[in-house]
Parts: sequence; structure tokens; C-alpha cells
Amino acid sequence: MLSELKIDQAVELAPILTGEVDLLPVQTRYSLRVKPKERCAFIEASNIDLPAQIGKMSVQYDRVVLCIGPDEYILICSLAEREPLARKFEELMGKYIFSATDISHRNVSFILSGEQTTNMINVGCPLDLSLENFPVGKCTRTIFESAEIILFRMGKTKFQLETWRSFAPFIVGYFEKYCLQNRGK
Amino acid sequence: MTLHRKPEYGRVNRGKPINFSFDGKIYSAFDGDSLASALLAHGVHLVGRSFKYHRPRGFVAAGPEEPNALVTFDRGPGRVTPNVRATTLEVFDGLVAHSQNNWPSLTFDMGAVNDLFYMLFPAGFYNKTFMWPKSFWDRVYEPAIRKMAGLGPAPIDEDADIYASQYMHCETLIVGAGPAGIAAALAASEKPGRVILVDEQYEFGGSLLSTPNMVINDIPAWQWLEDSLAILKARENVTLLTRTTVIGYYHENFLGAVERITDHEKDLSSHKPRERLYKIRAGEVVLATGAIERPLVFQSNDRPGVMLASAAHTYLNRYGVVVGEKIALFTCHDSAYEVIFDLADAGISIAGVIDVRDQVSETIIAAAKARNIEILTGTIVSGTSGKFRVSSLRASKIEDGKITSTWEIACDCLLMCGGWTPSIHLFSHSKGSLKWREDLGAYIPDNPNENVISVGACNGTFGLRKIMTEGAGGSTEYQVNAGAFGSGIIPATFPTEGDPAKVKAFVDFQNDVTEKDINLAVREGLKSIEHVKRYTTTGMATDQGKTSNLNALQIAAKAVYKPVQQVGLTTFRPPYTPTTFGALVGGKDGHSFHVIRKTPMDGWAEDHGAVFEPVALWRRARYFPRDGEDMLAAVNRECLTTRCSLGIFDASTLGKVEVIGPDAAEFMNRMYTNPWLKLKPGSCRYGLMLGEDGYIMDDGVIGRLAENHFHVTTTTGGAPRVFRMMEDYRQTEWPELDVWLTSTTEQWAVIALNGPNARKLIEPFVEGIDLSEEKFPHMAVREGRICGVETRLFRVSFSGELGFEINVPAHYGRALWETLFIAGQKYDITPYGTETMHVLRAEKGFIIVGQDTDGTVTPMDVGMSWAIGKKKKDFVGKRSLSRPDIMAEGRKQLVGLLTDDPNIVLEEGAQLIANPEQSIPMDMIGHVTSSYWSATLNRSIALAMVKNGHALTESNVYIPMPGKIYKAQVSKCVFYDPNGERLNVI
Repeated sequence: MLSELKIDQAVELAPILTGEVDLLPVQTRYSLRVKPKERCAFIEASNIDLPAQIGKMSVQYDRVVLCIGPDEYILICSLAEREPLARKFEELMGKYIFSATDISHRNVSFILSGEQTTNMINVGCPLDLSLENFPVGKCTRTIFESAEIILFRMGKTKFQLETWRSFAPFIVGYFEKYCLQNRGK
Repeated sequence: MTLHRKPEYGRVNRGKPINFSFDGKIYSAFDGDSLASALLAHGVHLVGRSFKYHRPRGFVAAGPEEPNALVTFDRGPGRVTPNVRATTLEVFDGLVAHSQNNWPSLTFDMGAVNDLFYMLFPAGFYNKTFMWPKSFWDRVYEPAIRKMAGLGPAPIDEDADIYASQYMHCETLIVGAGPAGIAAALAASEKPGRVILVDEQYEFGGSLLSTPNMVINDIPAWQWLEDSLAILKARENVTLLTRTTVIGYYHENFLGAVERITDHEKDLSSHKPRERLYKIRAGEVVLATGAIERPLVFQSNDRPGVMLASAAHTYLNRYGVVVGEKIALFTCHDSAYEVIFDLADAGISIAGVIDVRDQVSETIIAAAKARNIEILTGTIVSGTSGKFRVSSLRASKIEDGKITSTWEIACDCLLMCGGWTPSIHLFSHSKGSLKWREDLGAYIPDNPNENVISVGACNGTFGLRKIMTEGAGGSTEYQVNAGAFGSGIIPATFPTEGDPAKVKAFVDFQNDVTEKDINLAVREGLKSIEHVKRYTTTGMATDQGKTSNLNALQIAAKAVYKPVQQVGLTTFRPPYTPTTFGALVGGKDGHSFHVIRKTPMDGWAEDHGAVFEPVALWRRARYFPRDGEDMLAAVNRECLTTRCSLGIFDASTLGKVEVIGPDAAEFMNRMYTNPWLKLKPGSCRYGLMLGEDGYIMDDGVIGRLAENHFHVTTTTGGAPRVFRMMEDYRQTEWPELDVWLTSTTEQWAVIALNGPNARKLIEPFVEGIDLSEEKFPHMAVREGRICGVETRLFRVSFSGELGFEINVPAHYGRALWETLFIAGQKYDITPYGTETMHVLRAEKGFIIVGQDTDGTVTPMDVGMSWAIGKKKKDFVGKRSLSRPDIMAEGRKQLVGLLTDDPNIVLEEGAQLIANPEQSIPMDMIGHVTSSYWSATLNRSIALAMVKNGHALTESNVYIPMPGKIYKAQVSKCVFYDPNGERLNVI
């Protein structure tokens, strides 16, 4: 009886998005807050590489840590890492001043790729996504139309876009429109 | 019909003939024609009727400044665009267009009677005539005037096209791809940095397209243009956008531009958007928007066949179309001579040149003589004749400002040139200041407010060499064959032969404003150009006075005997040219219009016939009708089933905030009115939050998961606001607290189970939590697993029944719901929506923040003093609670109402009175905040805010509703199970 329940990430991708937009399977995500003066000690104790600067990200294996605020980090990794991470945070709680909140199901992630990617993102996101101004490895919390997103660049034409679950269909709707309008471009 | 084309002239593609229809008649054209050039090629000058007087009108211009030739562009249902300028509409094979503002036809328009009764329509006529009888205005005059006046009818079908929008960024944005803009683009793109060059026309070149005789750096103009565009295209940092109009210039170099994508395409079957709105952020903006030739204001200057000299130039050189067989020119500026010479060189008969000035330069006289052109100096045109097209003009000799002699000159086209007006619209949008150039009789850019420069004619720089050199920013010195641009005078007004009050010399062609209207406005006391504009409507048409503003200004200045600068200048506002709503919406239609947030269980609710309602950005199931039930029947059933057995409710939209850190409890203690420090982990407490004003702002159940860890819930609509306020206090007021907030609203799907069988339902699925009454009492929270996934299980109740709120990670929400729903069949489980939730809580007297409170209600007002920690030193809003008016007697207080007639459900919002016998106006003593039929109690119930309500228990109040005044008794707020025994049903 105690079987796993079916996962539903609230998003279905139309075929036209193939190759442009991919939905990541469920990830482990934590919102990490660490008292700035304990950052270095926390890194050492946790072996989680917290970037020193807002807008930077670190990549360890398949684990990505984004710094999106003065003491605010988003950690994204595979499901397999969840249990060990949860144990680690429990262990560190009380020893360091920090907060770790599981937001694995709060967000969904899209991988956006292809030559038209920046144009597609710029349909709803007002940021300058040129390589000079938004280089590979940059991350930011921003907006796509009226939805909050976290955007980071993984390659010249590859981005990851994180958004809250209920905003995802709204954003995907824009991507579908864009791909339809620019078919064969 | 003879075509008025010159075979060796123009850039149209003669190898690609096409057909189009205007007013039902089929005409031929060439690829590259505008509707205007194509019609003129057939000798069609009459294309519309004027706004007020229904006078016949033709083409004045060849570009976007055209005030007269507005047509309806008809691509079938849902694709009809009125008021399109024929001069900018590209002809394609099969294009259909109609003329506007005429009935029954363009040549026989009944509305033309207005022209005879012009005395009824002076400036501001709607304030003067048609005033009596007063009642006629709404029903007779206004509808009739609206019908008679105006432009094309607004489309009524839903727009069949799709639209798009896009942000863009560049280091340099160049607006206008005439000689100045192209020179600027060549210079800018040599350096690193992205360059965007935008032009509203379908091909780049601007004035160069009309001046093929120019030679730039020893290369003929069109060849130079082709070479330059090839260079720009080859540069990776350059984006070229044709058919793109920059419509507005906003703060921080943010500009809006609309690209027309399919309006010129025959085939509409593609998925391409019709238009795309570019939202451009530019480092630097270079405005190279050129200048617009100014008409001259004289009697009957609106007759078809009277047009700007530059327009004739463009029709000849760009489209290979001659606008007449015998052409006259009326000018006050040298620049028009180039046009008349070009026309003469093309073999067109010139009827003569009428020049206002007493003298013109020797060079011009010699060039005219060589072409046998007569120049009449010190002469004006004092009128024109002809029915639907000019057939002659009246030339009048002027001496000492008076007409001394007048004679007729036959012509079929009269060109006019009143000088040039720099296009400062965008610079003006950007809030740059302007300065007056007396020699141009025009305003030019002065101090910029953004990082912007103006180059070329829009900066008051004329003459091709100067324009291009300025465009290049001095980096390139251009050599051209053209002579000096020349100069002119600004006459503003001319003497007339007859009664000046009867002369119709048009200033604003599109709104039918004449010189006498402006003079009348001034005589009636309007001294500022802003007032003159609004009174006469000059410059207020869709062209925003592109051809008329400066003429109007100069006429007004002359009438008040003041320099132009003292009369001012009207403000330019976006958009630069009329813009479709579709472009402005930019694809944000349908599902893209705004976010509709859906819970994990939304799909299930939809599949099960739920009726939804919007709650903040969310859509929530309101009720689940079965077999033709209406809302009342469904809600009654849902309520009874829940109270008797079991109901399941989607509470996922409740705001959730994770509060973690060593100072979490202290933070909670300061944010909420209740005491938190001693709440034990594993326990819950109802939390009440006030604003600084002491009024109730939000509420929710809060569970303490660990010493340093709270799971906070908020109202659905209040979630973003509460989170923001908490963050604000955390960051700015109490930075010393080590605590962090994370929104987890969407992390958790929340299933609320209410009813005596709630525990029985979940028992088999729950692991790691002892559900017994002793181990898991009301207002407790436990962590464990349900159906194999982790859960935060709350034992809480918003219904008064035994209740659980099951939090599971959101992606599991639907699957768990389905599992519980199937298992709940043996308890006759019912899904219920927000409506039943509202009834169940009202039966228990639980308030809903935002429904029973309205932002002016204190905890004491709603009988919730118990939620205030009496021993607490401080919390947000505490100080306000001791303000005199918050403590005062006579505040409205929350009470229950029971109507005498139990079947009457009061209207929410209905006012309460104490005495129905009181004469009107009666004293309102309160209002109904919540009102329902309670199936459980088999009667109606209501909550109300009433003055001194707590002291009124068991007294009567009256509620006037449509048709009748109802009597009700004030009661306690709790209508059902006042002792809360049902919470603990085993």
C-alpha cells in the first residue's frame, strides 16, 4: 500500500518545443541562507561551495549552487543527494547559523538551448543576455513577464530557467508562441 | 487609362506587376509601390473626405506625415484596420482598401452639406451651437456629430492576427536610415558594440530614395546606398530593421519600436506575427529622424492635387509617378526649386513658380531660366479651383502686405513648400529641452535628458554634406555634388481677397482646422498654444500635427502679437504614429494575458466538474456540482456530508513561509500579536498579524516544528504581502536577528480533510505518526510519511469538525488526493470548494481576513483580544492599539445576525439600521460582511460589523434590501457547536 505516489510537475511540453525547451526531472533544491561571517566555515564543514559574489554560481559534479542575494543561495542537485544533504544540514544545525529549506517541489526547471535561445528568453525577460553582459556562469533572480524566475547560463546557447511550479505553464505558453512564430527561422 | 509613370524613373519593380482594389475598383501597380503612388499613377487624387466638412481630399505627402489620405485596409474579417495612411501602405497583389468618412460614395458624399453650413461648426462649436434644447445633446446632436465626423469605423471583429514582443539591447540605436542615419551607423559599427539601425519604411535610404541625382564621394546616391547597406549587413554587430517605427522614447534610453511583419505579405497562412513590439534598451541613441516639409496656409489649400513639393519629388524619383501634367509651385523656401527643376527635367510642363519672397537667388533664377520656368516673386496663391482636383490657382501680387492684383493660372497640381520642420518628436518624448531657431521658424533639440544625440535635419542641419558629416560624428568628411540647401522665410499667414471670416485656409488637414479657427480661439481669449490646441483641436488628430503644429503656432503667435517662444509648443507624446492595439499587447493575449496559478490538484477538480473562482492570482474550485445541482444545492450537500462524515478540500493556495534561525521565535513574537516563545515544538497556534496601524492584516495557523523552525501559513491573497512585510522588518528593523524566511507556498500541496471520519481515512496511509487523540491533539503538527512520501501533518480545523491538513511535496499532491478520494468512497467523501469552506467557517464564527475585515478592523472589534499576548513588550501594531480612536466607544464590532424569517439570506454588503421608522436619510449602524444559507442549521446565518455590536446581543436590527426591510436579531458569532466538541470526535 505504501507505494510511491506519481510525480506531476504541472508542465507538458508541446512537440514544437523539442530541442529548444526541456523540462528537467525533479531535482533536489534547497534555499540556503548562511550568516555571511560564517560562510567560509560553513563551506568547510558542509563541502558545499557557496559562491562569494551575487550572480556567481559554482558547479561541483552535478551540483549547482547559485548566489542570488547577500546571504542567499540556491542549491540544485540530483534526487540521490537529497537524503545525505538533509542529514548533513541536520548535523550542522546548531553548530552554524544558517537556514536550509527544502524547495525541491516549489520550482520546476527548464533547459533552454539553441541559437534562438536568448531571443526566446528576451520575449519576457528584459535583461541583456549578450555573452559580454551575461557570461557563462552568471545567475540572477529576475522576471519573465509577471513571473519571477531564476536564470543561469550554462553555455553560449544554453540556459537553465527555474520558476515556481504554478508559473511554469504561463512561461511555457510564451515559449510555445515564440517557437510557433519562428518556426523554420 | 493612361498611366502617369515615367519609365526611366523610380525604384519600383516593373518586372513584378500586381493588382489591388480601392473602393471596389481594380487597379494595377508594381511591387514597391505604396497605395498612394499606385493610385497617383492612375491619376487618382481624390481619396477621402475630411473630418468635419466632408471636403474632398487627396494626398498631401508621400510619407508617414500624411494627414489626409487615410484609408481602411481590409484583409477580411478580424483583419480590418481603419485610418491607415495610404502613403505608408505597401501594395501587394490582392490588396483591398476603402476610402472613409463618406456616404453614399466618395464622389457623392451627403456629408458635404457640412461644408455649406460651416458657420455652425466654428472652433469649439460643441460648446456653442447644438446647445438647445439641452436634452437633444445626448440623444440627437452628439450621436449625429459622432457619426458625421471622424475617421474610419473601429473594427468590431476579434483580431484574427497574432502579435509578438521582444526585448532588445544595443550600445547604439540609430533611429532613421536616411543619409544621416546611415552615416551614423557606418561610423558606430566600426567600433565594437551592438548597433541597431531602424527605419519605418520598407527600404533604407530616407531622402536618398527621392534624390538619385546626388553623388556622394563620387558615387551616385543609390549606388552609395547599396554599397553602404552591404557594408552594414556584413558587420556582425549590426542589426538592421526596416518597416520598424520607433513609437516612443522612455526613461533610461528605453524605446519602443513596432515592426510590421505581414501587412505587406499576400500570403497570411504562415504563423508569423503581424507585428512585433521591440522594447529596446540602448546605451546611446542617435536620432536621425529627418524633417517634414511644411504646408502653406492659403484659401482652399486642401483641394486634391495640392501637395507638398517633397512629396512630388518622392513620387517621381522613388516611384516613377508624376503627380500632374501641368504643375505649379507655391513656395517661400529655396529647397522646393530642386523639385520643380527635377520635374521639368523629367519633361513635365511647369505652370509657374509663385514665390512669396520679393527676391530669389541668381543661381535659382538662372536654373529656372534654363528650363523656361517663370518665377513670380512677391506673389502668393490666394485660392484654388476645381471640383475633385485642382484645375487652376489664383495668383495674387502682394504689395505692402496687400493684394494688388489677382489672376488665374491653370494647373492640375499645385506643390507647396513652407519650409521644413525638424522631427523632434522622439527627442521631445525623452524630455530633452528644445530651442527656437528663428531662421528655420522651428524648434530644434537643445539639452538632452538622456544619452542621445540628434543628427541631420532633425537637428536643424540641412544640406546633404552637412547632414552626412554630422551623422558620421565628424569621423568621415563626406563630399557631395549638391549645392547649398538654401533658405526661406516663414510667412505664417497671407492676405486674402474677400472676407477673412469666410476663408477656409487649412492648418490641420486631418481635423479640419482652419486659420480662422485659430484666430477665433485667440479672439475668444485663449492665449496659450495648449489651450488653442484643445479648443480648436489643431494637432490633435492621429497625425499629432506633424504638418500643422508650427503653422498653428505661428498663426497664434501673430494673432497675440508675441514671439513664438512665448506662445509655447504643444507636447509630443508617444506613439509617434498610430499604433495597433495588437502591437501594444504584443502577444500577451489569451493565456499569456496574465498568470493564472493552478494548484497541483486543479486538473482533478477540472476533471470532476468543479466551478472555479479567482482568488488573487490563483483559480480555486468553488464547488463541485453533481447531476445538475446549482451552487446552493451543491454547497448544501458538501456542507452536510462534511459535517456528517467527510469532506476533502484543496488548501494548497494558503501562503506558507518557512521561518528558520536561532531567533525564529523572537521574530515570530515581534511579527504576530500572539506569544510564541513558549509554544512547544509540535504544537500549532492561530497567529494574528496587524499592520503598524493596529488593524488586522493577516492570519493563519502556525506550527512550530523545532526550537528554531516555524511553518507559517497565511491567507491565500495575503501571502506575497505578508512575506514582503516580514522581509522588510527582518532586513531593515531587526537586522540583528539571526532568522531567515523562505516562501514555501508552492513547495507543499495541502489537502484538508474535515469531518468525523477524517482520522479513519488517513490512518492506513500514515507512517511514523501516532494519530491518537492523546498523542496528536487538536492544534498539533507532526512530521512523518503518508503513502510513502514525507508529510507535515497538521491537526487543525477551519470547519469545526475533526480536521487534518496534509502537506506533501507539491508534485505528489494530485496523486495523494486521488488515493484519498478513492479510499474515502466508503465514507461517502465529498470534495468541496471555497464556498462550502466559507459556510462551514461562518457557522463556527471564524473570520476571513479581507471579507469580515476591511483594513480598518482591530482584534478587539472582532472579539479576538484573546489573540493578543498581554505580557508581550512589543509586536507590530501594538502601539497603535492604545490610540484613543482605537480604544473609543462606538466602533463597529463583529456580531452574528439571525433573521426573523430564517429563509431570508441577507445580501453581503447590505447596510444595517436601528430604526426602520426613522426618516430618510437613516443612520447606518453597520453592514453585513458574510451571509449564507446554513444547511446544517436549516436556516440563514450572517456576520456583520455593527456599531457597539458586542453590547447589542439579542436586540433587533433592520436590514433594508431591495423591496423590503428585514428584521434580524444580533447574536454571538458562533452559530454551531459553541463548545467545540466536534473537534475531538473519536
